[in-house]
Amino acid sequence: MRLAYYPGCVAQESGKELDLATRYVCRTLGIELVEFPNFSCCGSGFVDEANEVLNVAINARNLAIAERAGLDVLTICSTCQGMLSLANLRMTDPAVRDRVEGALRPLGIEYRGSVKVKHLLRVLTEDIGLDAVKAKVRRPLAGLKVGAFYGCHLLRPADEMAWEDGEEPHAFEDLLSAVGASPVLYRGRVMCCGFPIQFVKPETASRIAGRQILDAKSHGADAMATPCPLCHLSLDAYQNKAAQAVAAPLDMPVFHLPQVVGLAFGASPEELGLPRHLVPTDPALAKIGSTAVA
Amino acid sequence: MSEDTVAATFDVYRYDPAHDTAPRYQRYTLNVSPHTPVLTALLRIRAEVDPSLTLRYSCRSAICGSCAMQINSKSRLACETHIGPEMARHGRVVVEPMRNQPVLRDLVVDQASFWRQYDLIEPHLKLDPAHPMPEGKATAMTPEQVDGFKETPRCIACAACYSACPAVEADAEFPGPMALAKLYRFVVDPRDQAHQDRLVRIQPNGLWLCLRCHLCTEACPKDVRPSERIRDLKEMAIAVQGATEHGSRHAVGFKDNIVDRGLLNEMRLVRQTYGTVGMLGQLGQGLKVWRKKPEILHKPRRIEGSEELEKIYDALDPAPKEGP
Repeated sequence: MRLAYYPGCVAQESGKELDLATRYVCRTLGIELVEFPNFSCCGSGFVDEANEVLNVAINARNLAIAERAGLDVLTICSTCQGMLSLANLRMTDPAVRDRVEGALRPLGIEYRGSVKVKHLLRVLTEDIGLDAVKAKVRRPLAGLKVGAFYGCHLLRPADEMAWEDGEEPHAFEDLLSAVGASPVLYRGRVMCCGFPIQFVKPETASRIAGRQILDAKSHGADAMATPCPLCHLSLDAYQNKAAQAVAAPLDMPVFHLPQVVGLAFGASPEELGLPRHLVPTDPALAKIGSTAVA
Repeated sequence: MSEDTVAATFDVYRYDPAHDTAPRYQRYTLNVSPHTPVLTALLRIRAEVDPSLTLRYSCRSAICGSCAMQINSKSRLACETHIGPEMARHGRVVVEPMRNQPVLRDLVVDQASFWRQYDLIEPHLKLDPAHPMPEGKATAMTPEQVDGFKETPRCIACAACYSACPAVEADAEFPGPMALAKLYRFVVDPRDQAHQDRLVRIQPNGLWLCLRCHLCTEACPKDVRPSERIRDLKEMAIAVQGATEHGSRHAVGFKDNIVDRGLLNEMRLVRQTYGTVGMLGQLGQGLKVWRKKPEILHKPRRIEGSEELEKIYDALDPAPKEGP
């Protein structure tokens, strides 16, 4: 399977561990990642707030790059997934399409709308399939209770994202079960991580993050896992702030989705960039005996 | 029991602050058709089992907006949520009052904060005194002008969105999805003369606390799509007033940030939003993150074809770019 790899900005810089883990998992499963040095940022939802048509245009340019190569796009970020999918959808509105094409045509760029945008979670559960994932597991994450944390833009608006249920999804829990972990169900799993307003009102953003972590904790989670590096920033890099905001100790290890899968495939913590996390993942690793691979 | 009925289990939130020290869940079991609305079942429970069960409802037809509550944690109208799918997915039907509003009794909440936020957006037409509405006549609008309202006139003010909203939950300053969807409706109304003033007043008053999580859009029984109209308000507010506070500065800053190299320059964005002095406040946390993730200080590589991005901006974003 060959896919146009769209890593997004964060995984190329402060979230490099996500890129490392993605490459490990894809290598193991035989997914070929085709890289394009001309992919730009997706706008992260912020460009959409400032200028909707511009946001569609920059993502139509990204999609056109994949279309020229005849490839569908693999995302590893809920927000990238949301913005690229949204561009596909908005391009079906003739008024938007006209304006976008008016900007792209002089550059010799055409987007015909044929590219599918799929997040790694969807590729693993639908295209690769859970049986094929299971077949690669060398270290089942038995006994590890993991709270999936989806990230809004992967799911919603559900009628526009056209994949999972917007409030009661199950793909991530299915994947966690496939690698031997015990998924923890809690309300916060489909809530917001607070990241979009981290720069608007940090204390409110941190309170929102803190509530979701507390929710996972109170339902018995040993760790959380997210398919979105922006959620990861909120839940891991800013967890100290979240703890202050909810006035409770948290100490919740937070994995990127492919790190959980990579651990089950037998990768070392270093190969997955786990030492780069702000909140140590050791307590969770201790539960699965991460150094011993069967 | 006929073949097409299910034995449905209801765990219903019960709380009477006058008598109870804490809320409790009471279990009821009914044999019902899977097509039965949750409201119908609750009324049967009240009529046949427990007359003390307290709830709000009126039309039973998803028109009045009275019976919003949480059904298996989702904010929904009880009159149009069927029991079959809930039982199939959860094995029971947990019924709780709406969130983000204090419980008066059982499933009835105090909606004062919800309506206060609605009042604050001044939900009435403000006409230009120089052009009063013609006496005794309706003011005609073109079909295109009516389309401009998008789905917002459908709102029945049920508060399901308000109950589902994590920004409302975390910050009393956020007006909530319904009030902002209503605001949109007045901002785009061609008869309203106050639309610029409405946008100027809402910008610093919570508009940018919307998380664009779209939970309101999922909860809305009328597909009003508040999250998408809040996005529209943000773009219109910037157009009227420019980037004047953290939220809009961040959005505009982000837009101008990525055109430079094609990828996000994280450190520059912090400076764009907070200013050089404001950045100092971020120093402590920045250092903590930098120790593990030194890349936060890196400039990103320049993408190939970044000049294409510049030209797309020139074509579609002619407004003067804010300096770094």
